[in-house]
Amino acid sequence: MANQPLLQIKNLTTSFRIQDEYYPAVDNVSLNVNENEVLAIVGESGCGKSALALSIMRLHNELNTKLEGEVNFKGQNLLSLSTAEMNKYRGKEMGMIFQDPLTALNPLMRIGQQIEEAMRNHLDLSDAEMKARSLELLKKVGIPNPERTYMQFPHELSGGMRQRVVIAIAISCEPKFLIADEPTTALDVTIQAQILDLMLELQEQMKTGIILITHDLGVVAEMADRVAVMYAGQIVEIADVYTLFRNPLHPYTRSLFNSIPSAAEGSDRLHVIQGIVPSLKNLPRTGCRFSNRIPWIKESAHESNPTLHEVEKDHWVRCTCYQDFHFPGDAEAEKI
Amino acid sequence: MATPAVNNNNTEIEKVKSPSGFKIIVREFIKDKVALISLILFLGIVLYVYIYSMGLDTKEVTRVDIFNQFQEPGPVHWLGTDYGGRDVYNQLILGARNSLTIGIAITLITSIIGIALGLLAGYYGGWVDNVVMRTVDFVLVLPALMIIIVYVSIVPEFDVRKFIFIMSLFYWTSKCRLIRSKALAEREHEYVAASKTLGTPDWKIMLFQVLPNLSSIIIVNMTLNLAGNIGIETSLTYLGFGLPESVPSLGTLISYSRNPEVMENKPWVWLPAAILILVLMLCINFIGNALKRAADARQRLG
Repeated sequence: MANQPLLQIKNLTTSFRIQDEYYPAVDNVSLNVNENEVLAIVGESGCGKSALALSIMRLHNELNTKLEGEVNFKGQNLLSLSTAEMNKYRGKEMGMIFQDPLTALNPLMRIGQQIEEAMRNHLDLSDAEMKARSLELLKKVGIPNPERTYMQFPHELSGGMRQRVVIAIAISCEPKFLIADEPTTALDVTIQAQILDLMLELQEQMKTGIILITHDLGVVAEMADRVAVMYAGQIVEIADVYTLFRNPLHPYTRSLFNSIPSAAEGSDRLHVIQGIVPSLKNLPRTGCRFSNRIPWIKESAHESNPTLHEVEKDHWVRCTCYQDFHFPGDAEAEKI
Repeated sequence: MATPAVNNNNTEIEKVKSPSGFKIIVREFIKDKVALISLILFLGIVLYVYIYSMGLDTKEVTRVDIFNQFQEPGPVHWLGTDYGGRDVYNQLILGARNSLTIGIAITLITSIIGIALGLLAGYYGGWVDNVVMRTVDFVLVLPALMIIIVYVSIVPEFDVRKFIFIMSLFYWTSKCRLIRSKALAEREHEYVAASKTLGTPDWKIMLFQVLPNLSSIIIVNMTLNLAGNIGIETSLTYLGFGLPESVPSLGTLISYSRNPEVMENKPWVWLPAAILILVLMLCINFIGNALKRAADARQRLG
């Protein structure tokens, strides 16, 4: 493991403007991603995982978003760069794989042109060299007939093929760092497995640091080295993947695991987390943000200003409520 | 859309390839005979008018020859002469040229302004959008027709160029709104964000990614606008607030019919211009509608 992390996020807060007031969608998040490491970020819809990813790439509309904190990439704070300087990093040093491959490709440009876009921006190659490299990339991501695909338009490809192309575009300049924002959500299950295998294979080859954003714990188990669980804009638990799956601590993490349908046990009802994620405007700014979704846990169990606690080495949990947490059905069992 | 077939060899793969934008347009025109005839007729008229008018001198054509007043159509003057003894046929050619030039120029200029501002407003949003859109609102609330009429009466030696200028000043707003609304929708697509993650600067994304995706709308809108702009020129001139008689246009020819005597008994003065306008308008509209269908897969005939 390198002594300096590849990407170091320090107290990142992303606030969106809603009617002239800023509301933080990502609240004081600190993260490290090392080289050759896959960090998965899980959480339900609207918990700020995509907002975090877009903040790292600085893709938010700067007119109504405020970014605070630091995003250090190889020691350089990306948030202090001008757009032109940022463009030197985008594509060359860091790439992004999008959720929906249909919309992530320009419908009017041939696949070849789109793969060459990043090379055109960053590398000084001739047209022939770019074409050769594009074909090589297409072959690398498992496209059976690169020559033909090179000349095709996005609508002529299937969903899985498109996502392969999107991956090819993201890795075209061999970036050291990739963000994959729910790369398999728009695909069907068999294709998902193929795409994940492909990503793992490429990751091993190129030693990339990856932030993988997903809400699929199965994907996390397969891909990730470390996992960060996000809730309501904050990281509530972060640990390496084995620890987290073996010993999830935060009530939210435990609820998530409990919500996975399982074929093995004969449980007749699936666990449902009560309530909904509070909207950005109504988010409680003090206290444990998860408290109103586990109302059976008494107030005193929560910290008034929850911080991350290191329960064991590299396993951090927010708030103290994890110590007293139990599921409603288990209450009697625990009392005896 | 071509139906996918089993590909045995490369020639068949070529066949399966979906048609490019240009081919779709060609197919649409072949299917729609009216549009095809319109297109041929329109191009024919435009070419004939521009080539023929190169051999004409405006001063010569508009020189008053009082002895030849209101000649009926005959071998010397194909379409007769007007009250100043000027040849109607030559005026018709020059007038059609001027009207077409005005229509095309206004369409192009307003499109360029409208596309540039609309794209900026839609792509960036925020205060940029606000500034551009409030400017559009401001221009829209101005009584455009009145200002044009005042301008025409004040400015000495009114000619084609000045006419284009004053018209373009007011008619870019609707285009700007249209492009802005489409750009707003387009910038939300992930390919824009994807392109940003590759380090492509904003202006490149706007010009080479977003703009091509708006091209079908722009082409259709420009075509249909062309007819409208020719119409505006003609009607203003007819009302006497457009081009002077020394600069013949289709409008000036028709405006001679304000004289009841000409209107009733000397139709050769104004009828050809009226028919030509009718034909041009219909042609442009048929062409525009065919393009519109080509841009929308659900409405295509071909």
